[in-house]
Amino acid sequence: MMKYLVILLSDQSTSFCYYNSSDNIEENKLMPLETLRNAIKYAFMEDLFIQFVLPPFSLPKEYEDIITSTKASIIAPSSTSYKADVMVVDGFLELNNIEILKDVSYVLRTSKKDFFEHYEEITRRIVELSRLNIVLTDIEDFKEDDFILYKQILDEFACCVKDITLSGETIQLNILTDRLVENEMNNCNAGCKTITLAPDGQFYICPAFYYAKEQPVGNLENGLMIKNSHLYKLEYAPLCRECDAYQCKRCVYLNKRLTREVNTPSKEQCVVSHIERNASSFLLLSIREHIIFMPKTEIKEISYLDPFDNIKNK
Amino acid sequence: MKKLIGKVTEEEKKEIQTLFERRNGLNELAKILTADNELLYEKLVKDIGETSLKFQGWWDRMAKQYNWERAENGNWEIDFESCDIYLVY
Amino acid sequence: MDLIKKSLEEWQGGIAKSITFIVTKDCQLACKYCYLVGKNAKERMSWDVAKKAIDYILSHEDEFKEESVVWDFIGGEPFLEIDLIDKICDYLKMEMFRLNHHWFNSYRFSFSTNGLNYHCEEVQNFIKKNINHLSIGITIDGTKQKHDLNRVYKGNDERGSYDDVVRNIPLWLEQFPNSSTKVTISSDDIPYIKESVVHLMDLGIHEVNINCVFEDVWKENDDKLFEQQLLELADHIIDNDLYKENTCSFFTEFIGKPLDKETDNQNWCGAGKMLSIDAAGNFYPCTRFAQYSLRDKDAWIIGNIHTGINKNLLRPFLTLDRCTQSTQECIDCEIASGCAWCQGENYDAADTSTVYQRSTAICKMHKARVRANNYYWNKLYNKLSNLNAL
Repeated sequence: MMKYLVILLSDQSTSFCYYNSSDNIEENKLMPLETLRNAIKYAFMEDLFIQFVLPPFSLPKEYEDIITSTKASIIAPSSTSYKADVMVVDGFLELNNIEILKDVSYVLRTSKKDFFEHYEEITRRIVELSRLNIVLTDIEDFKEDDFILYKQILDEFACCVKDITLSGETIQLNILTDRLVENEMNNCNAGCKTITLAPDGQFYICPAFYYAKEQPVGNLENGLMIKNSHLYKLEYAPLCRECDAYQCKRCVYLNKRLTREVNTPSKEQCVVSHIERNASSFLLLSIREHIIFMPKTEIKEISYLDPFDNIKNK
Repeated sequence: MKKLIGKVTEEEKKEIQTLFERRNGLNELAKILTADNELLYEKLVKDIGETSLKFQGWWDRMAKQYNWERAENGNWEIDFESCDIYLVY
Repeated sequence: MDLIKKSLEEWQGGIAKSITFIVTKDCQLACKYCYLVGKNAKERMSWDVAKKAIDYILSHEDEFKEESVVWDFIGGEPFLEIDLIDKICDYLKMEMFRLNHHWFNSYRFSFSTNGLNYHCEEVQNFIKKNINHLSIGITIDGTKQKHDLNRVYKGNDERGSYDDVVRNIPLWLEQFPNSSTKVTISSDDIPYIKESVVHLMDLGIHEVNINCVFEDVWKENDDKLFEQQLLELADHIIDNDLYKENTCSFFTEFIGKPLDKETDNQNWCGAGKMLSIDAAGNFYPCTRFAQYSLRDKDAWIIGNIHTGINKNLLRPFLTLDRCTQSTQECIDCEIASGCAWCQGENYDAADTSTVYQRSTAICKMHKARVRANNYYWNKLYNKLSNLNAL
């Protein structure tokens, strides 16, 4: 059942995930006001919670009036002065130059190369943050050496988060702490619980599908028409439904791009998510060496990083 | 005449089946490989000899182990599906 | 029970890797039911492409761990490219031996041919050279009338090919006495099923593998006509004691039962576990995913001879199970066992670009088959028990 409506207010609305919103843009198109009003009406009627995604420039006043008067969460680029719930930081240079606000979640989009080179910037600023989501924009390019390096970095993060936790503070770092609080899959859920309305007035599975010029899945006038909609549900994903890397994004866009099927993750996505899962386990055990911590949480030791190997060997 | 005289285990069958397949493969390879291809030709000749020895060795070993019935001018056959051994005479 | 002939086991069934060379997309025939919509005389595999494919496969032994291999050659009509095939097979034998590859101990060369040039010198020389490693299936659809209904020569006169195939059957059966044939049934063929199967058995083909096409071709009442034909065939086989020496795959004892969601959840089709290579050097999870086999979808290429196999593109096939791709009606079906599907046809017919949507075009034909199959086995066992009582 759909719960969220992501509204891309412009073709240049910031990307908060794996895709690049600057790809395939022919013009700087704002969502027409009439479409925006209808979108809000649609969300109210369908009982969907709205998430506005803003571009890196000021919107006309009529737009701002509508946005500020609508109960919704706002995702905006950190380069703007919008009061947003989620601020998107594009790269480490930007991370170094922004003033961190309390009660705001930050999304850091970075390539793996920059991440490997500058990850210490995160440990330096981590105490200022209440929540940081790290999005590696080129997961598909991870190679065996990258997996090893990623594990080492996450273990370093774990030591840092352990110290913060033992000092009585809390920090949410998606790739490390989300797995601690989940006891079932909590993924992106695009096409299943979340749907996106693009500036062209058409629905897409998620913003990435719009920018990749995939087919729309309905419009405001006729509603949603998602063919094979069940394939976006966890039960119809043979690898994922057995998996306990609960924090995994399970990105259906990456799935489609890398395996051709929205319900089948690539090896790279699976291994990265399992390295994160295992780092969460390491963090949990490290903290428990000192204090009683989340006693009901259990992350079992496993012998694989790619659940596909389990199915293949059956 | 063909008479059922015994049975071997799946594992024993697999051993002779592999040798049987290899022998057929070597024989068919021998039809196309000439002495010009010196290295491969020598390897083939050596392998044919070794495989024949192993092949005969299996029958000798099994016949002794299971005490199979023999016949003058007869020979044994195996059914790869059932693992049954027949005396053909 | 030895009174009933059993179907022959597939060679190394389940443990052999099937690797298919699409050596040509040309064929002398233009069969009306042929699923190869993109056949043409231009796309012929070159020796260079074939060699590179072999070199890639044999040098990646750790990725092809199956105990045995079936090197399969299809077209179009594969024997149109007998010179290339001969060169490929010679190279395969030498390379498997030279590399000490484990497949040298367990391989076959397999062909599905229309049989038209089976007798020609080049094909016969090839057969003699490789006789211990060959599996050759000649397609003959039944009586002259039935065969010539669909299997016609290219060109405007639609001349039937029966006479040219049937003259090669004795030679084929002499060389491969246990051979089977594969018959495909489409809507127009239904009235001829009984006489065709009987005709094939009369020709000495003791194993007739027959199936309905998976495409959505079925008209109203086709299932009733189909059932009637199968009932007549069942009567003929049983009344004339043909079951002692012949099998027809329509009558398979353990079909038509419910399937368990957990223990019977495996995929039917082997797509993804196989590998196909076309003239351009592209790899496919099965030939049915090459462009010339697809009506409405883009080819599903999983790599090529230069860059190798992209394993991410195989993951959907290797994680596919029965229930995930089936409708609830199929999952709950009381006679589900034996109901087949083709992953390529599923993909081609799906509403989106997915292999996870099972086509159900064959449903009513399966139900008819199950009713006739039940009749066949009940009648046969009834006859055998009466005979025993005498």
